[in-house]
Amino acid sequence: MHRFLLILFISYNILVAQKGVITGRIIEEDSQPVVGANIIITGTSFGAASDDKGRYEIRGVPYGQYTLEVSCVGYEKVSKKITIDKEISQINFILRESAVETEQILVTASKFEQRKEDLSVSAFVIKPDLISHKNYIAFDEILRDIPGVQVNLEQVSIRGSSGYSKGVGARVLVAINGIPLYGGDNGDIVWELIPISDIERVEVIKGPASSLYGTSAIGGVINIITKEAAQIPVTYIKSYAGFYDNPSYDIWKWNDNLRTFYGTEISHSSSIGSVGYTLSLKKFDNMSYRQNDYRKNYLGYFKINKTIDANRSILLFGDYLYMDRGNFLYWKDSRNALVPKDEDNGNTVKSNRFFSGFVYNNRFSDNLNSTFKLSYYYTRFDGYGIEVTTSIANLYRAEAIFNYSTKGNFNHTGGIEISGSTVKSNIFSNTKFGGGALYFQTEYRGVKNLIATLGLRYDYIKLDTIQGKNAITPRFGLNYKITRNLILRASAGAGFRAPTPAEVFTTAGIAGGIDVEQNPDLKSETSFSFESGLIYSPSEHLNFDATFYQTDYNNFIEPNLTKTGDIKFINLTKARIQGAEILCAWAAVPSTFNLTFAYNYMWARDVEKNRPMKYRPRNTVNLQIGFTKQPFELNADFRYSSKVEEIDFELTEPPLALIKDGYKRVPVYVIDLAGGVNFVFSNIAAKLKLSVKNLLNYNYVEFIGNLAPIRNYSLSAEIYF
Amino acid sequence: MKKVLLIILISAVFIFRCDGGIEPEPVKPDGPTGFKGAVTFTGNWPAGVKRTHLVVFKKPIQKTDDFFPPNLSFVSDSIPYGSSAFNYNSLENNFLPILQLGEGTYSYVVVAQSKTEEISFERKDWYVVGVYCNNGDQASPKELILRPGEITEGVNIKVDFNNPPPQPPY
Repeated sequence: MHRFLLILFISYNILVAQKGVITGRIIEEDSQPVVGANIIITGTSFGAASDDKGRYEIRGVPYGQYTLEVSCVGYEKVSKKITIDKEISQINFILRESAVETEQILVTASKFEQRKEDLSVSAFVIKPDLISHKNYIAFDEILRDIPGVQVNLEQVSIRGSSGYSKGVGARVLVAINGIPLYGGDNGDIVWELIPISDIERVEVIKGPASSLYGTSAIGGVINIITKEAAQIPVTYIKSYAGFYDNPSYDIWKWNDNLRTFYGTEISHSSSIGSVGYTLSLKKFDNMSYRQNDYRKNYLGYFKINKTIDANRSILLFGDYLYMDRGNFLYWKDSRNALVPKDEDNGNTVKSNRFFSGFVYNNRFSDNLNSTFKLSYYYTRFDGYGIEVTTSIANLYRAEAIFNYSTKGNFNHTGGIEISGSTVKSNIFSNTKFGGGALYFQTEYRGVKNLIATLGLRYDYIKLDTIQGKNAITPRFGLNYKITRNLILRASAGAGFRAPTPAEVFTTAGIAGGIDVEQNPDLKSETSFSFESGLIYSPSEHLNFDATFYQTDYNNFIEPNLTKTGDIKFINLTKARIQGAEILCAWAAVPSTFNLTFAYNYMWARDVEKNRPMKYRPRNTVNLQIGFTKQPFELNADFRYSSKVEEIDFELTEPPLALIKDGYKRVPVYVIDLAGGVNFVFSNIAAKLKLSVKNLLNYNYVEFIGNLAPIRNYSLSAEIYF
Repeated sequence: MKKVLLIILISAVFIFRCDGGIEPEPVKPDGPTGFKGAVTFTGNWPAGVKRTHLVVFKKPIQKTDDFFPPNLSFVSDSIPYGSSAFNYNSLENNFLPILQLGEGTYSYVVVAQSKTEEISFERKDWYVVGVYCNNGDQASPKELILRPGEITEGVNIKVDFNNPPPQPPY
């Protein structure tokens, strides 16, 4: 009888229990819907899957407290405690892509899609979630967090390939969607031109890649892959504002105003039928912590992609950047570290840049693919100082890439590339240069667990009246999977870099009576390098990557003081860079607590003089800690590099002493913190981020007489709708 | 998790052991840094000399390249041909103002002559005729020490055309 009453009582309660509906949307961080995500109420049989717009609905849920869990392949699992006490409860989720290192796909290493674990070279991939965690203003800030990558002011170097030469003659090829982004005159990279909000991922190939990419890739490649246009309309607005803290010493305080920086970006992405498009406008200003170092930038960006049919697609994109900035060359002295030398104060540079690329993909068959790339890069700058410097450059490029997979175990990649540039300048002369290249690479997978790669490239470059230069750059690579968790890789190859018009023809005054002399006798530099590495992944969440590398350079081009007291780019007879790098990535608590540690030891020396090469630290450490517990995220980055041994002492010591106290340099210790909260407000995905950069307000230089940014704070707000 | 904490701890120790980095230089005494003295000549001046300078080098000239910046630290105004004495002050008689003398020790102070019309930085175009030295021993150059905010006096050189000093390497 008691049992009967109990059953009756429970049944009654079930019958009269109030029930509700849980509804909501599952979206990615950029507001794109996540289709097919599973939403379950843990411990019950209630659940649903998201539709093509990311919507879901679970009906008949009794009032009560539950844990709602969302999972989807390729995304980090998210759970949330909820209380159902009303008829309809709206619960939205923002999913983040999961980071599984060994499953990363790269296109940069061999110009076709490969898994990272199949490469014979060192590679690093920056995923969009890493970029979204911090308030990066310009792309070079992202690079500072990559192990083995060094940034001196705005000049990037991979494993010591570059010292500092005011951006002239880059040794790292930076590309957007595989199209090089170096200027036609001085071969520099302007980081502000890169649309950070449209980055899908960044692939970094560490070490020479001339056998596929030619000159400028002698130190490595940084390839920025942009996002696919959104399928449904998405508008993204980001606004940030920040300020610099007071300098460490009162005597450095040269201005009582709050030194601020701010920016706003609006972008819209959508598709009309088979045509996808992205448009973006951005304005970003920085008063700077230094006098006469301001920046006012305007960036416009467009991208159109069209899928013609299952085998053909086109991509067209373009960037326009207008920049008005002060030209801070060197500090006055260490007591006036944030003030330029009197004669440089008031120097400004105005510049216009337009970069555009066109990519046409055509799959002829299951085995044969082709890609055609065209690009045009217009640069103009006018420098206003004691004398007016000007340069206008037009750079044109075209490339055809073919990829053929045999039914056996071969994958062949071949290509042809031509480029030409015209320069009109009062400091680089009015020059022209052009060149062409042929390359071929074969990958062989016929031996179990082994992937062998053989590549060869021929380049011909003609710089104005100077005799044309040839280069043949072979490369050989091996990837051997000893066990499922242990991969051995090795590669060896040649590299080359032709001097840029700026290195050959520059004739300009720097300051203090120092002039830059032209050097028409400058030769191309060549290199031979090898590296071997080991990847060990004892578990899905722990990954070790160790590499030993060595590069020998001949005719290495570096700026040097001449016998007459001027600066001239000259060929060092021989240089050698050796090093070892260890990288450890550990998801200590998967999807919640991640840790990355990297250490790089590098010994770069001028072999002839047996002296260290300039501006290259021997030891660098990167430590990144990420904590995510939706809706919160917290990231801490620590960077260390040892004090550089060799600098341009000629500029800092008597008798020239052009840069007073310029000898001052210290090891670098920098901590950056960033915290954010994700939320959905009226169906609008939003994010607030707070960043503190250089938390310790540590004072260091990346180049003589240039104090790095002091502690600064910023707050950013992003919305997607 | 313990390992994580250990790494964080080690990192924290590593970080906080460092100071604040670059600091401003302390205030140095006001006033210029320099030197002065006299060059005296005995014997007959060689024919064809176009220029004669007092020259200061930071380090000894051990190879041809040491003759040029940045080792070349000071060049006085040209001493008129046929002079018997030349009183100078580095602040007033600086022929190459781009070269700045700072505090420090300078190993080789000489009087050098050239027969070229144009100023030349080639070692082969110059001949050393007098050395700032100890006890008249021109093979033992005397160091010139400059202190901040002070003018070092008595930097005298005797040039004897009949008794030329040893020449630095060509």
